[in-house]
Amino acid sequence: MIHAFRFQNYYLALDVESGAVHSMDEQAYEVVRALEEGRPLESLPYPKEEVGEIVAELNSLHDAGAFEAEELVPPEGTGGQVIKAMCMHMAHDCNLRCKYCFADTGEFHGARMLMPEKVAYAALDFLIAHSGKRHNLEVDLFGGEPLMNWDVVKKTVAYGRELEKKHDKRINFTITTNCVALDDEKIDFINREMHNVVLSLDGRREIHDALRPTANGKGSFDLIAPRAQELVRRRGDKEHYVRGTFTNRNLDFTNDVKALREMGFEQISLEPVVLPDESPYAIRAEHVETVLAEYDKLASFLLSERKAGRWFNFFHFMVDLAGGPCLKKRVSGCGAGAEYVAVSPDGDIFPCHQFVGEAEWKMGSVLSGEFNTGMQQDFLSCNILTKPECRACWAKYFCSGGCAANAWKYNGDIRKPYRATCEFEKKRTECALGIFAAERES
Amino acid sequence: MKHIKTIQQPCINASAHTGCGECQASCQSACKTSCTVANQKCQKESK
Repeated sequence: MIHAFRFQNYYLALDVESGAVHSMDEQAYEVVRALEEGRPLESLPYPKEEVGEIVAELNSLHDAGAFEAEELVPPEGTGGQVIKAMCMHMAHDCNLRCKYCFADTGEFHGARMLMPEKVAYAALDFLIAHSGKRHNLEVDLFGGEPLMNWDVVKKTVAYGRELEKKHDKRINFTITTNCVALDDEKIDFINREMHNVVLSLDGRREIHDALRPTANGKGSFDLIAPRAQELVRRRGDKEHYVRGTFTNRNLDFTNDVKALREMGFEQISLEPVVLPDESPYAIRAEHVETVLAEYDKLASFLLSERKAGRWFNFFHFMVDLAGGPCLKKRVSGCGAGAEYVAVSPDGDIFPCHQFVGEAEWKMGSVLSGEFNTGMQQDFLSCNILTKPECRACWAKYFCSGGCAANAWKYNGDIRKPYRATCEFEKKRTECALGIFAAERES
Repeated sequence: MKHIKTIQQPCINASAHTGCGECQASCQSACKTSCTVANQKCQKESK
């Protein structure tokens, strides 16, 4: 399978199955497009000899396994049904009242609650017990807002460190915070203990304040921005992301990335909001083209900034072609419900944080130890090889089948990908490959 | 080649020693609402 596309002045083609990327002139691009679409090459407005040259080059690439390569088969799994990653909902409470919150402003459709340390310890025990031979494990301390349960956060990390020694494991902790309650002590602890930090900040002050008010209805930008900046300043080059959300109110989100850049942030992720169509903030089908055009604009901004020596990273434009994941990983995707689970404050297990509070998706409990391996098997078997739409998509090895929760929320089926996010992912992949080409050739 | 320049050689690794599962779960990294896998590191490569 081939995907030929244009990015700025570049004519590019991705060989889907091998991962090879080719840059070409306009004539070759049109030949590849014609081959893709099954149009006769005689219909192209180029001399026959030139088309022949191009076809010969394509044949040579085919022989080298870099054009129209055969579909690969991943090796058999090596670990069975292990769980290696966990999202721990330290607090189903929040000190913000974000208007687009998928967690129902922290409550996840239930009562406001903090995770007791007994549940946190049981969750880590459950993870270790189900991790098989995996050495590297991940725990995201999530919410609501995890800093509202700070004492248990610290105890959880300390307990995790004990378990690491006892079981010869490595637990990479991450924390996702809105920064409101950050202070010097928390910043130092986080920077010492957390493998990754995700800081929620939406970009421009007016955008952020409109959608991320405090519990008393005031804007939170001035509370958050200086604290996030201080954490990042002290963190040095350790992994972190400033992560924003965009809604239909800021489809010009390149301006939010610019605002984050002006605040000094270099590691940026900006995500489309996940909301049903009836929400006033939802990104609906009529917004898709605008979002796609905005990604092009953002890619141009990123390239011009980097060219001028002002480097920054946008999460979805980052691609590691040569050192990236293996085929097995690309096929199996995010791992939700299979090797990744979320735990609510009362100890219930769900396939991922997006399913928490949805009774029909409860998989078990870390307190009782029960775990629905049948549901785990359903998620394991939900991958790009079993979803026909995904298997036929050129972006499959970049997105690996998309978000199961999105699919369920929009289409009522974890196996039916949500079309709008497919379009976003394809555009972001084109931009990522285009940026790769532009920076390589400049 | 006159018309085509390969800027990335075939790179999807499907060999028998892959699939160890030691890499990061993709949704844990930064997005939490979507899925991009190709920007994840191979744990073996990053050692």
